[in-house]
Amino acid sequence: MAAISLQKLNKHYGSVFHAVKDVDLEIADKEFVALVGPSGCGKSTTLRMIAGLEDISSGDIRIGDKVVNHLPPRDRDIAMVFQNYALYQHMSVYDNLAFGLRNKKTPEAEIKAAIDRAAGMLGLHDLMQRKPKQLSGGQQQRVALGRCIVRNPQVFLFDEPLSNLDAKLRAQMRIEIKRLHAAIPTTSVFVTHDQVEAMTLGDRVVIMRDGRVQQIGTPLQVYGKPANKFVAGFIGAPAMNFIDVTVRSDAGLTSIEAEGLRLTVGLAEASALAAYNGRRLILGVRPEHLVLGDGAPGLGFDARVEVVEQLGSEILLETRVGGASVTAARVPAESVIARGDQVRLSAQPGRLHFFDPETELPISA
Amino acid sequence: MAMVKRSEFLPWLPAVGRKTLFALVLAFICFAFAFPVLWLILTSLRPESGVYYVHRGTDFTLASFAEVLSDERIVSAFLNSALISTLATVFSLLVTVSSGYMLSRFTGPASRIWFGTIYVFRCVPYISWVLPLYFVTQSWGIYDTYIGLLLPHIAVHICFFSWLMKGFFDGIDPSMEYAAMIDGCTRWGAFIRVAVPSALPAISALAVLCWLFTWNEFLFALILTGNRVPVITVVMAQFVTEMGLRWNLMAATAVMALVPAFLVALFGQKYVIRGLRI
Repeated sequence: MAAISLQKLNKHYGSVFHAVKDVDLEIADKEFVALVGPSGCGKSTTLRMIAGLEDISSGDIRIGDKVVNHLPPRDRDIAMVFQNYALYQHMSVYDNLAFGLRNKKTPEAEIKAAIDRAAGMLGLHDLMQRKPKQLSGGQQQRVALGRCIVRNPQVFLFDEPLSNLDAKLRAQMRIEIKRLHAAIPTTSVFVTHDQVEAMTLGDRVVIMRDGRVQQIGTPLQVYGKPANKFVAGFIGAPAMNFIDVTVRSDAGLTSIEAEGLRLTVGLAEASALAAYNGRRLILGVRPEHLVLGDGAPGLGFDARVEVVEQLGSEILLETRVGGASVTAARVPAESVIARGDQVRLSAQPGRLHFFDPETELPISA
Repeated sequence: MAMVKRSEFLPWLPAVGRKTLFALVLAFICFAFAFPVLWLILTSLRPESGVYYVHRGTDFTLASFAEVLSDERIVSAFLNSALISTLATVFSLLVTVSSGYMLSRFTGPASRIWFGTIYVFRCVPYISWVLPLYFVTQSWGIYDTYIGLLLPHIAVHICFFSWLMKGFFDGIDPSMEYAAMIDGCTRWGAFIRVAVPSALPAISALAVLCWLFTWNEFLFALILTGNRVPVITVVMAQFVTEMGLRWNLMAATAVMALVPAFLVALFGQKYVIRGLRI
């Protein structure tokens, strides 16, 4: 078991493309960290640098207390799960699982015991003699997980392991990975572009964009206190609503206004917004923090329904407020709402986010 | 690969008409390919006096085969051709597989220069290599030896087939090799133990192509060999003499030369098709 430490990690491809920029990240022993971001944000490159599959341009990578900058992958004592499983196609499942240990010249009896244990955990016993091509995607990914467990490495690396699975299987494997991490607590880095995976799996979530770390925090922190507008929009589904508003302070009451919208903010928020009187900023409110009907005083507004998405458990409303489109979730499934209706929506108090339009940083109370 | 369904082809034709049309076209193509071979076999079975009347004669004989097989030079030409084809295949595969892998996986300057070199040599017309090669083999003292024929063949294979091999490796997911490197292999180990076994169908296909290429090759063999290393394609051409053409013997030799190629193609076909689909 080992901690991982990335210091001022950079990756340049030629002179043109700066894929990873000054990434600092401390991952504690046995911690499960999820790296998430849109494609091309440098998360996979970062993972591949930890694995040693990609050279680093500058910076340091430590696994345990050893700097591994120039160690080849085989000497880093890591295991990795790939998006397309990367099973050895010409070997049986058993040989796939045994491959790493055989390379370490482990006695066959020990290998067999390790494989038995992993196979029991993952339900692979019946598949041992099959070739990877004869397995379903879910089974293949389970074998790939098994191949990692068998080696008992210091670190698990996951490179979008669930992306090739269908939605149902993905949810199932997510739970399986979580269970696995509980059973064999091992330092893990999990790369995904799916924020749900990142939030559900990670002890901490690292959000990246354009090669830079945007925020590092527990799922609750990145959801509740996003470090910037990008994180606010990236984390949470459906995505946060952003509306351009103007701040007006009048007779001790601070309100924010946009076309068709006028909300009176609470005291704490008012003091944070004091400096912005008369200026424009961006209001962020999550769809799940909008309720149908009149809620807290001063936080209601009228919206025209454009799309109704019935989910069975709830309704998603796509509405228009002035020039902005606003999504509302958590609308009771039984509500009778049709396209073109006018509805009253209210924001939950204390759930408003404000961002500076230039810096995109939050304006917090 | 997007396959066109038969029903999407000439949709205005009724199904029966479409089937008939396909059968006719296929039959015609098969016939066009098979006819010369059939004619060759018929010729080889005719006595010397009948070779110009293949379509009319009724007497058949195996005498031509017997005569050809009793000729030591022809038998040794067969053995030489088989040996050279096999050696050329083995040695060129050793290079081609690793060179194709390098072209597919590495993007550094070395790979680019190698790619450029192969490209240039491929663009040179085949025939314009022959004369320089003749001078080179002469001056190295390897003219009319196994080596003198093997080396040029291996070079040609490498130029022609590295590209094919690159294509095969492009089709194989590299993450398997990354997994192997994490599982304790060196880069080279990952290539040998994971990439090569996965490319085995393609490599078999390439082996068949290489072998047939050298077995059938005439031009290099003609210029680069003399009396000491007779090979089958050259020996066959030597039935054209001042005394006239020995068509029956030439046909018999050609039919025998077809056999190994036919066998290789027959048993290798499975791999060729699988390999070309990777």
